Amino acid sequence: MNLQNKKIDVLAPVGSFESLAAAIQAGADAVYFGVEQLNMRAKASEQLSVEDIKEIAGRCKEHNIRSYLTLNSTVYDHDKNLYRDIIAKCVEGGVDAIIATDIAVISECRRQGMSVHISTQTNVSNIDAVRFFAAYADLIVLSRELTLKQVAEIIREIKEDDIRGPKGELVKIEIFAHGALCMAISGKCYLSLHSNNSSANRGACIQNCRHQFTVSDKENGQEMVVDNEFIMSAKDLCTIDILDKLSETGVDVIKIEGRGRSADYVYTTVKCYKDAVNAISNGTYTPENIAVWKEKLSSVYNRGFWEGYYLGRKFGVWADVGGSKATQKKVYVGKGLRYYPNIKVAEFRLESGTLKVGDEVLLIGPLTGVVYQKVSAIHVDNTPAESVGKGKSFAIPFKKRIRPSDKLYKLIGTEYAQDYVLPE
Amino acid sequence: MPRIMFYRSKCIGCNICYETWSLRWRLSRTDGKSVLVGSTEKKGVYRINISEEEVEINRHIADACPVKIIKVEG
Repeated sequence: MNLQNKKIDVLAPVGSFESLAAAIQAGADAVYFGVEQLNMRAKASEQLSVEDIKEIAGRCKEHNIRSYLTLNSTVYDHDKNLYRDIIAKCVEGGVDAIIATDIAVISECRRQGMSVHISTQTNVSNIDAVRFFAAYADLIVLSRELTLKQVAEIIREIKEDDIRGPKGELVKIEIFAHGALCMAISGKCYLSLHSNNSSANRGACIQNCRHQFTVSDKENGQEMVVDNEFIMSAKDLCTIDILDKLSETGVDVIKIEGRGRSADYVYTTVKCYKDAVNAISNGTYTPENIAVWKEKLSSVYNRGFWEGYYLGRKFGVWADVGGSKATQKKVYVGKGLRYYPNIKVAEFRLESGTLKVGDEVLLIGPLTGVVYQKVSAIHVDNTPAESVGKGKSFAIPFKKRIRPSDKLYKLIGTEYAQDYVLPE
Repeated sequence: MPRIMFYRSKCIGCNICYETWSLRWRLSRTDGKSVLVGSTEKKGVYRINISEEEVEINRHIADACPVKIIKVEG
């Protein structure tokens, strides 16, 4: 195996402060996030704003990781002041680069002295496109539809032809490693706009491709459900078991998709890929470890996995469920009250359901990040208890400090849990 | 009297309201979001009373809005 000596950077998706904390905690090398309406998750329920840029970039600097802002939707004339303002705020706030698609945004970044990464939405699929964009960008995210051979060839030619970006360094290459894939090439899709006037290219995809469809006979009106598959809904990309092959191409960065997904997804995916990258360099990238990572990845949101187009598949592999196949689901039970650091005990209020000794819990918070733990003991009114019900305050031993902004979830196995059993 | 309520902060500036009925809707060059012409704002919600003649076209706009932030009452 001819593995590169350099380590690949793991780039984490951030759609909220909880995800940011989770990405930092899991060891991400860099994060990407979007603000306002000019990014591909404009419709997300939890939206970051221009005012958050400085805070996010600052927190990343504190932890010595890089922050990139996505400004990669189609932009119109009426967006001009907004994208100029966002770029200016990024320069001021210390964001490391902007992930852009539109020439207008790319050229405005250059005017303001902001480094550019070319978004996968630009569909860069060959060395001449890389050469063209190298005049503007220090890093290029390649099209997700390329094979690893094509990726390796592009990287080889960058070195051979000494193609450098504006900073004077060889142009870096980033590829997607994990997360949702789209049926449309490089995400350029008209379906959502056509059916619901909700443009995917303005970050407002309603994901109707993820539904099941029927075919109707126009002569007699008979309808047939297209059997067993969601014919436009690709399974999620997962490259944890071919990460050595990705590494061999010489890519600089692997990206995890999922700005619309929750903090526990961000934590788990970043941690697994970071561990796997480290394992490749220290010789512990073994089938046993891969199985463990895959089991962990399957515990958080996913539509089932495939390896994408990297190994030469010409056609997508379609999902067999409408939603997630995660082996665990989280159920909200309560919120944090206070923490007693001397005795390492956390107090919560149970707002829904019940909690008992032995339950697996997950804590998520904007500063705390993500904590997985088993409930080893419960105290209600200073008295030991086996369980606790709705409306009660209770204390449990907790390994990390908790805060009032933290939410506590109970983890429950789903029907898909049996699909992932570790080999003996 | 019929009225329009517009929850502006979630607007993604898709342009459909302005394209459909530019007498009532504009696009702000400042933040790229739509502007409900003549409205008054209270706690982030923009409101304006409209005539019966304007109801149908604005209902059509409310249906077409991709982020469903326009409500036509009455």
